[in-house]
Amino acid sequence: MFRAMLLKEFLLLLRDRHALAALFIMPSIFILIMSLALKDTLGSDRVLSTYVVVDQDNTVQSGRLQSFLSENSALEEHELTLTNVAKQQQALNETLHFVLSIPQGFAQNLGQEQSDPALLQLTVAADVKQEVLTFFQAELTKGIMRLRLEKMQEELAPFLPEVAQQLEAMDFDGDGLVTVHFNGMEASKQPTSTQQSVPSWIVFGMFFVIIPMSTVFINERRQNTLMRMSAMNISVPVLFAGKIVPYMLINQIQVWLMIAVGIFVVPLFGGDALTLGDSISGLFMVSLGLSLAAIGTSVLIAVMTATVEQATTIGGIINILLGAIGGIMVPKFYMPQAMQDFANVSPMSWGLEGFLDIFLRGLGAEAVILESLALAGFGAGLLLLAGIIFSSKLRRGV
Amino acid sequence: MIFIKNLVKQYGKHVALDHINLSVGKGAILGLLGPNGAGKTTLLSILNGLIDFQEGEITIFGMPLNGELQAIRKRSSFIPQSLALYDKLTIIENLRFFAGIQKISGNTLRHNIDYALTVNRLHPLRDQKAATLSGGQKRRLNIAIGLLNNPELLYFDEPTAGIDPESRNAILETIRFFKNEGKTVVYTSHYMPEIEKICDDVAIIDHGRIIRQGSLTTMLQENEGDSAVIELLHASKTQLDQFASKYAGVEVVDAATLMTSSLDAKQMGMLLSALEAENIAVKQIRYGTTNLESLFLSLTSQGSCDV
Repeated sequence: MFRAMLLKEFLLLLRDRHALAALFIMPSIFILIMSLALKDTLGSDRVLSTYVVVDQDNTVQSGRLQSFLSENSALEEHELTLTNVAKQQQALNETLHFVLSIPQGFAQNLGQEQSDPALLQLTVAADVKQEVLTFFQAELTKGIMRLRLEKMQEELAPFLPEVAQQLEAMDFDGDGLVTVHFNGMEASKQPTSTQQSVPSWIVFGMFFVIIPMSTVFINERRQNTLMRMSAMNISVPVLFAGKIVPYMLINQIQVWLMIAVGIFVVPLFGGDALTLGDSISGLFMVSLGLSLAAIGTSVLIAVMTATVEQATTIGGIINILLGAIGGIMVPKFYMPQAMQDFANVSPMSWGLEGFLDIFLRGLGAEAVILESLALAGFGAGLLLLAGIIFSSKLRRGV
Repeated sequence: MIFIKNLVKQYGKHVALDHINLSVGKGAILGLLGPNGAGKTTLLSILNGLIDFQEGEITIFGMPLNGELQAIRKRSSFIPQSLALYDKLTIIENLRFFAGIQKISGNTLRHNIDYALTVNRLHPLRDQKAATLSGGQKRRLNIAIGLLNNPELLYFDEPTAGIDPESRNAILETIRFFKNEGKTVVYTSHYMPEIEKICDDVAIIDHGRIIRQGSLTTMLQENEGDSAVIELLHASKTQLDQFASKYAGVEVVDAATLMTSSLDAKQMGMLLSALEAENIAVKQIRYGTTNLESLFLSLTSQGSCDV
């Protein structure tokens, strides 16, 4: 009996090009686009800010400060070609983040305990993010500290040559001072945009079963095929099982297809390849839980709506809302705390956290038990509700 | 075969079936007639265990419907009015699916599919998608699906609605074939000539009550005598409706037929004169005969031929 139901659902799906596009092509394209679009955002060697230097001091020290800044690949110095203030301001609004002015007397004032006016002047574009400004300020402070140390070293060298040598040997390279280790990853590895994007769009894509599933279900109900099956001794639980099993398989095909896109296709376009975590069982647990949640939502929508148009509209809206709330469209770490807390109401967020545990944080099956159970419980609850409504409608002949 | 005693079905305060008593013998073809909303579909749905009922007793194949529904369903089949099939599947895929969910397999599956295709003349189209079939071919596929469990009892809910005369005749032939095979059929239709052609027994249902039932031949004989059927040339339904509204005892059967009851010779003369005055030419008048349509109209007081 299940074989017949399974075959029927697969045949109906394979002959529905729109459903195939919604289930397989659209999420694959999303993965590709978002992995490439976010590549620079999450990469360590990307340019964070652009600046020009107006050096009015023209000393060795002011030159050294500029060379310190240029050592950092996250900072990109533009040539100073803009001499008048109006043009500088225009450039700040369009291409530059900062104009750094090194006033005359910079080198002279370096050694003073307190400097008034300040050693450096920074003009900042109005749209610069606070964290970029903080980062640039920190780099400048670090540069000034290095110059001050060099000055101290020069002054100490005739009297305390050993101390001066120690000062000279000091390492200011960030990698040498601080070792960064991303939790759950190998020492030299870091999260990539692909690791972040693939889980998000897998979750989103899985919920797109709402459209083909509710379309088939509503057509069956409208054409009385479900009623006919009921007259052929097919009970509501069996009828629902006949839907759940094939779409769970379809969801699993989706998951592995999208993982394959992350592993094999994204690198072809210059993106980072997806790496699987160590827990395939955890991956299955989350994907099965997500599948049940998506199917439960689909069946409930199909049971509660009267037409295919209603189901696809409502289903589409629910999918996008759950995605927006759950951190699919905008990663949760970009959200303010209140929104991050609110994101937890979306089952997509539970699924995403589960997948991130596996793909990004390198955790095992035990770490995703809670998310998997919550998703499965959510799906089972919706299916139960759908079953009650559907049985009631069937008995009333609605 | 089917025995219904004091069946009551209510939707809230609305009584859909009011103490229905009905019996259908083995091998009989029962025509179930009634206006829209009379309770025909409700009755078929109850007989197939699709909706509950409040009171009464139903026995099918000697088994109580409430206790032995699954066993009864295995031996019966419901062919709904709507085309309950999958447009995107081929004929053979549709048949395999509906057989599969009834757990029919092996030689029985092959035999029953072959039987369903043969009886409905669908063999040459077996690999064609249902979406590409004509209305009549889809109706035949709808029936073929109902034959997969080789049922002894078949319920047809208006199987010829909306199809061409050729396809209708093919379906009627199929139903006659079932009779020859000894199957029992409960049949509803919008076309009363169909019922006259294929049914042995008739039950007329109106406002949830059976108002007449029995052998079709007996029923027609009992109602002979005081009626006349006037066949007309060149008239329109609207024109006839307007005409009939002026005369008591005159009913419009269709665009070319009027039916009268209890008119004496003088009244008939006046009626014919009135028709002439309206430029409606009379083709022929048949006295003392009746058909199912006129009987139905006289019993249910329906102005339309909706059955």
